Amino acid sequence: MKRIGVFVCGCGINIAKTVDVKKVVEEIGHYPGVVYATDYQYMCSDPGQKMIQEAIEREHLDGIIVAACSPTLHEFTFRRASEAVGLNPYQCEIANIREQCSWVHQDKEIATAKAIKITKSIIEKERLNDSLSPISVFMTRRALVIGGGIAGIQAALDIADSGYEVILVEKEPSIGGHMAQLSETFPTLDCSQCILTPKMVEISHHPKIKLLAYSEVVNVGGYVGNFNVKILKKPRYVKEDLCNNCGECFKVCPVVVPNEFERGLGSRYAIYIPFPQAVPSICTIDADACLGLFPLACNKCKEVCEPNAVDYDMKPEIIEETVGAIVVATGYDLLPSEELKEYGNGRNPDIIDGLHFERLLSASGPTQGVIRRPSDGKVPKEVVFVQCAGSRDPEKHLPYCSKFCCMYTAKHALLYKHRVPDGQPYIFYIDVRTAGKGYEEFYHRVSEQEGVVYLRGKVSKIFQDGDGLMVWGVDTLTGKKVEITADMVVLATGAVPAEGSKKLFANLKLACDENGFLSEAHPKLRPVESLTPGFFLAGAAQGPRDIPETVAQAGGAASKVIGMFSQEMLLHDPIVAVVDENLCSGCKICISACPYDAREFDEEKNIVRVNELLCEGCGACVAACPSGATQQQNITDDQIREMVKVVLGE
Amino acid sequence: MKLPYYPGCTLKDRTSQLETTALACAEKLDVQLEEMPNWTCCGGVYPVSETKIVNLVAPFRILKEVQEAGDDKLVTICDFCYNVLKRTNLIIREDSVKRTRLNLFLSDDDRRWAASGRRVGEGQEYDGGVKVLHYLEMLRDELGFEAVAAAVSKPLEDLKIAPYYGCNLLRPPLEMDLDDPEDPRIMEDFLGSMGAQVVEFPYRIECCGSFLSLSSPQIARRLCHTILESARKNGADAIMLSCPMCFYNLEQKQSEFARHFPGFRPMPVFFFSQLLALALGLDPASLGFERNFADPVPLLKEKHLV
Repeated sequence: MKRIGVFVCGCGINIAKTVDVKKVVEEIGHYPGVVYATDYQYMCSDPGQKMIQEAIEREHLDGIIVAACSPTLHEFTFRRASEAVGLNPYQCEIANIREQCSWVHQDKEIATAKAIKITKSIIEKERLNDSLSPISVFMTRRALVIGGGIAGIQAALDIADSGYEVILVEKEPSIGGHMAQLSETFPTLDCSQCILTPKMVEISHHPKIKLLAYSEVVNVGGYVGNFNVKILKKPRYVKEDLCNNCGECFKVCPVVVPNEFERGLGSRYAIYIPFPQAVPSICTIDADACLGLFPLACNKCKEVCEPNAVDYDMKPEIIEETVGAIVVATGYDLLPSEELKEYGNGRNPDIIDGLHFERLLSASGPTQGVIRRPSDGKVPKEVVFVQCAGSRDPEKHLPYCSKFCCMYTAKHALLYKHRVPDGQPYIFYIDVRTAGKGYEEFYHRVSEQEGVVYLRGKVSKIFQDGDGLMVWGVDTLTGKKVEITADMVVLATGAVPAEGSKKLFANLKLACDENGFLSEAHPKLRPVESLTPGFFLAGAAQGPRDIPETVAQAGGAASKVIGMFSQEMLLHDPIVAVVDENLCSGCKICISACPYDAREFDEEKNIVRVNELLCEGCGACVAACPSGATQQQNITDDQIREMVKVVLGE
Repeated sequence: MKLPYYPGCTLKDRTSQLETTALACAEKLDVQLEEMPNWTCCGGVYPVSETKIVNLVAPFRILKEVQEAGDDKLVTICDFCYNVLKRTNLIIREDSVKRTRLNLFLSDDDRRWAASGRRVGEGQEYDGGVKVLHYLEMLRDELGFEAVAAAVSKPLEDLKIAPYYGCNLLRPPLEMDLDDPEDPRIMEDFLGSMGAQVVEFPYRIECCGSFLSLSSPQIARRLCHTILESARKNGADAIMLSCPMCFYNLEQKQSEFARHFPGFRPMPVFFFSQLLALALGLDPASLGFERNFADPVPLLKEKHLV
């Protein structure tokens, strides 16, 4: 019989107030198999741990029970302490007499009796515990980054600079994301493209980075350390290695369509590069617009292409890669204006969103930086900016704050005032939130020194009124209804997860919050990790955030990846399901029960095996197995039966 | 198609032209609207504006009778009745306490009626199962605007009409659930099916002042004047609406406008059913235009519709 030691913690008065610790020790001391029992005020303290270690050595203990707080807190502490003196860590068990007993009861007598039962049941479990060791897993030291905005760019560069290979996948023809569309960045007003494009160039030349633009991740199999990724490379109809971006094809292309990069304010040809600094610097043919594809009615671009790069017969391609870790940086989109029925339903050309205005401000934009309204090209003299357009509106739209709009609206008003000195900007706001370095100072400058009128209140309705736009709102500080005839309205529409991310996250089995943003493993202590091992989060895919925060988080995600890659082997918890091959009938019920795809059928032996590396030890298959062939390591049916007996008092 | 129909008080008196034209059109469209027997007042908007349960008894009884007669739909024409009946029905469906109390209250009532020799479905609980339809909603969802378009014999081609919704059709939006409260389309689509030219104007869902025309007439007058002028500015020949209250404020009260707004020119206002009757080829003399202050006949003559 195992020699078992029991250590009861008082946790100051957290436990001792409701549970008679001395009585627990006395009672447990007489329990079969227990050769040593004691109590201490703080078992997790250094002296407490030392006491346990000495007892293990002195009493030659085969297993120990620490009756204390939840195992989620200090199981690791006590197992490490046991291991240090030669006891297998899986022979150390925690009896939770705090969260499950002292904190939820008042009557000391009853709580003490319950604490004794809990401890006894864990003793019964420990009696049948096997000594286990973690499963070592070989890992592929190569990372996948999904999304080529500033978050993905930063994460890819940080990982690659540490010497590990990175595959960067971007669904658009060029990397850069929304940051490439911005004019100037708050609060320092430095040019967005000027600070972004060096990083984009670095991506294209980095020896450790493989850039797959115009591609999408379609499937991820495998497990942490060894993911098998399938990437769909969409056909550009232009050979990447031949195109030299000479621009001859643009001159002959007869099809003109709105340019997505300019948010529809500018145009492009059916063969195009989205913006001059695009990376990779390769033309793409828009299959929906081109006349040369299906059927072939035009081949002007092919005729003029000197390097002969145009290839109308290009097919989609599936690329398979193995990676060890995945950074998800899929970013955000703005809430479509069509959702905002009261603000013109997206049908009025002069009611635009923040990214439209960024393009109007941009020196490389459709108006070369001159503010002109889309309908007639007139320079608008009265511009109304509406903050929280769709945000902080749980009844109709988005319940959350989109975080960066207060600052970019202040920046918009300021830049507008600088470009149109005789113009008048108005800003409607609910609150102005400026929690960032230098942000409050910037807001004060805009609101006090630049002639921008801030109106505290919401806008109820915007509609065309003759040549202008009628804006109805309220100023809640004066309690008056406000009517402004504006030439143009800029809506600070809320941020939502990027288009297509819902499908991608479902594909990757990543947990999301109720708004569709990625969930982190812990909101405070593990903010850049997903709950699924091997996945890391960067940027606005996790929730709206501005550039500095995105860059910091991307760096955090990258360093988590680097930290993982710097280990010799990955260790996997050995608390997994095991199969008794003699009992398994191959009914496959466990396969449907497993949420991790960890059960696989062995055709030859007609049994179902467990892939230990995929198994997360949830126990679903154990419960589902009709023959009892599947057992969970150290939580076997026999153990559970003995525990239940004690709890029921048999 | 045969459907039970609840008229309400206003359609029997002040705006009987709304009922007569709507019923005539229904007949033409092969929809039998059968006026329910023993109908009572719906209560105006009063029942749903307070939390008292007893106020809900009148609309509750109306709905219960529909179910007892074996029907599952009820058509109304007046926007106020539609609002009250639909919202009461939702309360009955979602609030089990009010549902039980109303049913108990009325089972007692039933016994008294039974003593007077009236047949009742005793013991039968009303659960909110009746679907309340506005006449326009019936055209859209039960008949289909395509069927309306197919029945049109005199398209209103040259008529520029500004549809005006008011409040009771659309709000409160989650309860009424007829159309988007900020950007509704049902009246526009209805006009489209008759071949009329739709004039969009920003005041189509703004308030007409409702009962303020009694307590603070100057406020209602200002609101209505703005609505009419906005429609005119956007090129409308006339306004179309469905609510008797809006008709009173926007049409009947035009008689006072010239005194308060110098230069005001009267503007014709139609009930939707009057326009439908025109388009279906009914006799223009039977449409009740004589009750309008702003006579629409010259406009219709000009457009060769009479």
